[in-house]
Amino acid sequence: MTTPAPPPLSLPDAFTAHARTRPDATALLWHDRAVTYRQLADLAEREQTRLHALDLAPGEPVGLPAAKSPEQIALVLACLIERRPFLLPSPQLAPALLAALFAQAGARHLLAPLGQDAPALPAPARPAPVPTLAAGTSFLLTTSGSTDLPKIVPLAQAAIDRFTAWAHDTFDLGPGRVVANYAPLNFDLCLLDVWATLAAGGTVLLIDPAHALNARHLLTQLTRHRPHVLQAVPLAYALLTQAAQAAQAAGGAAVLDSVEHAAFTGDAIDARTLAALPALLPRAALYNIYGCTETNDSFLHRLDRLDATAALPVPIGTPLPGVRTLLAAPDGTPVTGPGSGELYVSTPFQAAGYLDRSRDAGRFTTQPGGAGAGRRWFRTGDLAVRDEQGRLHLTGRADFQVKVRGVAVNTAEVERVLLAHPEVHEAAVAAAPDPLTGKRLHAAVRRAPGSALNSLTLREHLARNLPRAAVPERLAIHDTPLPKTATGKVDRKAVLPTA
Amino acid sequence: MSNIAQIKRFLIEEFLPDVAPEQLADDHDLLSDGVIDSLGVLKLIAWVEDHFALPVDDTDLDPNNFRSVAAIDAFITQRRAVPASAVAGG
Repeated sequence: MTTPAPPPLSLPDAFTAHARTRPDATALLWHDRAVTYRQLADLAEREQTRLHALDLAPGEPVGLPAAKSPEQIALVLACLIERRPFLLPSPQLAPALLAALFAQAGARHLLAPLGQDAPALPAPARPAPVPTLAAGTSFLLTTSGSTDLPKIVPLAQAAIDRFTAWAHDTFDLGPGRVVANYAPLNFDLCLLDVWATLAAGGTVLLIDPAHALNARHLLTQLTRHRPHVLQAVPLAYALLTQAAQAAQAAGGAAVLDSVEHAAFTGDAIDARTLAALPALLPRAALYNIYGCTETNDSFLHRLDRLDATAALPVPIGTPLPGVRTLLAAPDGTPVTGPGSGELYVSTPFQAAGYLDRSRDAGRFTTQPGGAGAGRRWFRTGDLAVRDEQGRLHLTGRADFQVKVRGVAVNTAEVERVLLAHPEVHEAAVAAAPDPLTGKRLHAAVRRAPGSALNSLTLREHLARNLPRAAVPERLAIHDTPLPKTATGKVDRKAVLPTA
Repeated sequence: MSNIAQIKRFLIEEFLPDVAPEQLADDHDLLSDGVIDSLGVLKLIAWVEDHFALPVDDTDLDPNNFRSVAAIDAFITQRRAVPASAVAGG
């Protein structure tokens, strides 16, 4: 008689079990330092002691600006073990934005890892009413979008555990495996490469975000530590292929032959990078992963190695197990079979809604086009085509969203922030394709008569109000009216440099 | 000798074409408001290596070395006093 397999342990229980049964296995690699499961569990235990000493109400979240380090990961593990919800925003957000986010989540305590100073934040203008989190909430992630204030996405631990089980089944993240983590620690991508790996008992190779654009450093870390699994935005693959070609030209070795699974995600990959991947990753299966912070990963496309020369963009493929998808025509009716429409998804890993439920409108819905009653759907804003084989291909956006280095930015929001400056009378923002970063933003403004506004002061205004990726790379300041379209609106395309 | 004027000239030519040198404070945080992003830092490093004939190793790539005009100047001054080979492996 066989007994059915026990259900997988929850992430914190799985981690502590690894620390108990395989204490000397390496949990983290960080620069030249290796941290074992025992050392990481000891660090987490000290952080748990500190959490106990705080006057926290039941279910009250703590704020953890997500600067990547082994100590920061120990602090997150302490929260997970204590079943303490935590808000994990980018440490690069302007202090006023961070303070507003923590206030919105009702996080009174802002914690940095032991021995480090928490950033000093201004007091928020008015204390927000403290929201009640659903029981079982663990991670509170933030959307990367460039709204004035990022949206907070609460995720239930059960949804995370369903996701880490899928990730381990698909990529084998367990003992003896090394998984490279490229994304900053506040990114949802870390649910796979950091958190699913620690649940499965593997080793996470942490790439320092401060050096993440240094192609030589990135290639050195990957050749030294020989990961089996690599997930990153297309930008990382573009940097790696460039560094590998430079190393080869100098007579060095530049092949990542340890990698078995290489996934790119967050943006469309460019043709030149894709064509170079089979030589860089000779033993790897290549994947395109599609997901949003709100739903986690939804689609996976495994490329035939011959696809590397096939037509772009790479399809996003087919839904993950348990994921339901729907294409809605402009009139809201579902598109069945081949056709195009806006993509809705419903996943086993998703949030029930934003923390601020007033922002759910138009995004989380129960019945798009009258279909899928009883399920909660997320409207992605992505336009897609379903082909004869049932695979989906992204074709664009239903709004002004573009991707800059894998980060979603809404150009209309950037324009709103520019126009909020008292000396700006007109503003236009447009995105130009960039072979390395996906898109780069160009902005043009007309300043008020007599104003001495320059790009330095305008940048300071933008950086106070927007995430970094949303601050345009180019700012042009004019005293004359901006070009208009035939309908009298500011012509965004005229902002772009003429080739 | 201070290199402030040369550093400002480079930064303005590359990243701030509409700004006058006296408008760019020596301690202005160039990273926090995206005057130079991480790719800009790499461009800046290439210029420092080239213009001052100073090799910059991987260990020097701490972005804080390039956070402001004053920080870049301090980095160059310190690098000239202690050649890279003398601190390698240290």
